[in-house]
Amino acid sequence: MNPQTEANKDLWKAIYNTGDLQHCFNCSTCISGCPASFGDPPLLVRNLARKVMYGLEEALFEDDTPWACVSCSRCEEMCPMDVKPFEMILHIRQWQASNDETRVPPSIVEIYKRGYTQAVGTNVETRQALGLDPLPIITNNPEQLAMFREMLMKTPVIAANDYMFGG
Amino acid sequence: MEFCLFLGCNTPAVRPDVEKAIRVSMDELGVDLVDADNYVCCPAFGSFPSTDEDSWLATSGWNLSIAEGKKRDILVQCGSCYSSLRMGREHIMHSDEKRQRVNELLEPTGRTVCGSSRVRHVSEVLYKEITPARIAEKVKISLEGLHGVVQYPCHTLYPSEVVGFEDSPREPKGMRQLVEALGATVDGYSRELQCCGGAGGFMKSTPEQAIEFAKTKFDSILEETKADFIAVSCITCLMHMENVQNTLNKRVGEERYKIPVFDYNQLLALCLGKEQKQVSAICNVSRDKVHQFIANAKVAA
Ligand code: SF4
Ligand code: SF4
Ligand code: SF4
Ligand code: SF4
Repeated sequence: MNPQTEANKDLWKAIYNTGDLQHCFNCSTCISGCPASFGDPPLLVRNLARKVMYGLEEALFEDDTPWACVSCSRCEEMCPMDVKPFEMILHIRQWQASNDETRVPPSIVEIYKRGYTQAVGTNVETRQALGLDPLPIITNNPEQLAMFREMLMKTPVIAANDYMFGG
Repeated sequence: MEFCLFLGCNTPAVRPDVEKAIRVSMDELGVDLVDADNYVCCPAFGSFPSTDEDSWLATSGWNLSIAEGKKRDILVQCGSCYSSLRMGREHIMHSDEKRQRVNELLEPTGRTVCGSSRVRHVSEVLYKEITPARIAEKVKISLEGLHGVVQYPCHTLYPSEVVGFEDSPREPKGMRQLVEALGATVDGYSRELQCCGGAGGFMKSTPEQAIEFAKTKFDSILEETKADFIAVSCITCLMHMENVQNTLNKRVGEERYKIPVFDYNQLLALCLGKEQKQVSAICNVSRDKVHQFIANAKVAA
């Protein structure tokens, strides 16, 4: 990844290669009502769309705001031009994470290791007190967990960052 | 009716009483549930969907294949799980290329995915299949006399094309009608459709602003309604709307924000006469007043 100062006209192809983005006409509907637009710095979906379209690679690469999105998909619903802004945000994150390992979310290591972001299955006594049976979770099934990991090993994020996953 | 139950991570690990509430209410309403054995995280939007499409859709495919193997639709409570599984299925169903790639990745695990199992949110099943009218007939205890407000999980509203089940996504009615079926009065408020702000990275990246954002919602509830409780239908809404009230109280130096928050299934189970210590055992904002109301109604019934 070599961030550059001049615009990269093909950036949108690398990030969000659908015709959808071409239809954005800057109306800002995606910003009004976006929870994360109240953040500091604010997440301004329209501006992200502009950065992608204009090929402002360097600025977009450093931008943390896509990670503040709560995934509510309100922008996706309200966008009058069907740009699918939430999908665009996921694609910006994917582009950042695949070019900068410090962006790789730690939660995927948890999921790789035990199947879940939380330690599901460790609250044995609480569950018993509520009259709940143990769940058939993958953490307790070494054979299935191994298969799940092997499958993930073939996917780009894990293949490229295998040191994070203990091998 | 039968479903494959997908619980996600937070419900079984942090709020298993909600899991219990779902299991006992569904049983009472004649819905048969089997567990999704060896399921994994949905995947949450902040995980694989934020890194690459292969790991995202392979993980969705892994989960969907479990239900397909059982020839059942999936039943979900967590808003994020619902939306993630729905979106994953949408991608897999609508692109031959993606479906092929996912099946290639799944193949060595002895799984396949074709999209035959749909993903259903528990509030949709209650609202559209079981219906508020049947729920009203079934409940043994009425919440008549109590006022509630509802929190629609945005993940069940938007994008309506992919996740929606309301007749009008701009004017959802499901949660209101479900709570009314329990006998309570539901008060509307101007910020009813505002997201709680609890999911994803907002709280993590700018907590101050996220708390302020939630405060506007709670102030609107306090000023405009007589809410004795808030009914939600998403585990993240449940945990966040409790935690934020406690944080706000510390800020203002008084117990101003103390509206108990229930997952709808918990209220339903309580009104079906189920044991409070099992279906509504864990909370961070006291539910005593509502529990007491129900205990009194139980004696009277
Ligand atoms: S999905 Fe993300 S960007 Fe879109 S409105 Fe919600 S928080 Fe904002
Ligand atoms: S709502 Fe859609 S068209 Fe309007 S600025 Fe946002 S992405 Fe562009
Ligand atoms: S969305 Fe949250 S609760 Fe649901 S499976 Fe993923 S991490 Fe767990
Ligand atoms: S209100 Fe917040 S936590 Fe609840 S479904 Fe929406 S984004 Fe998720």
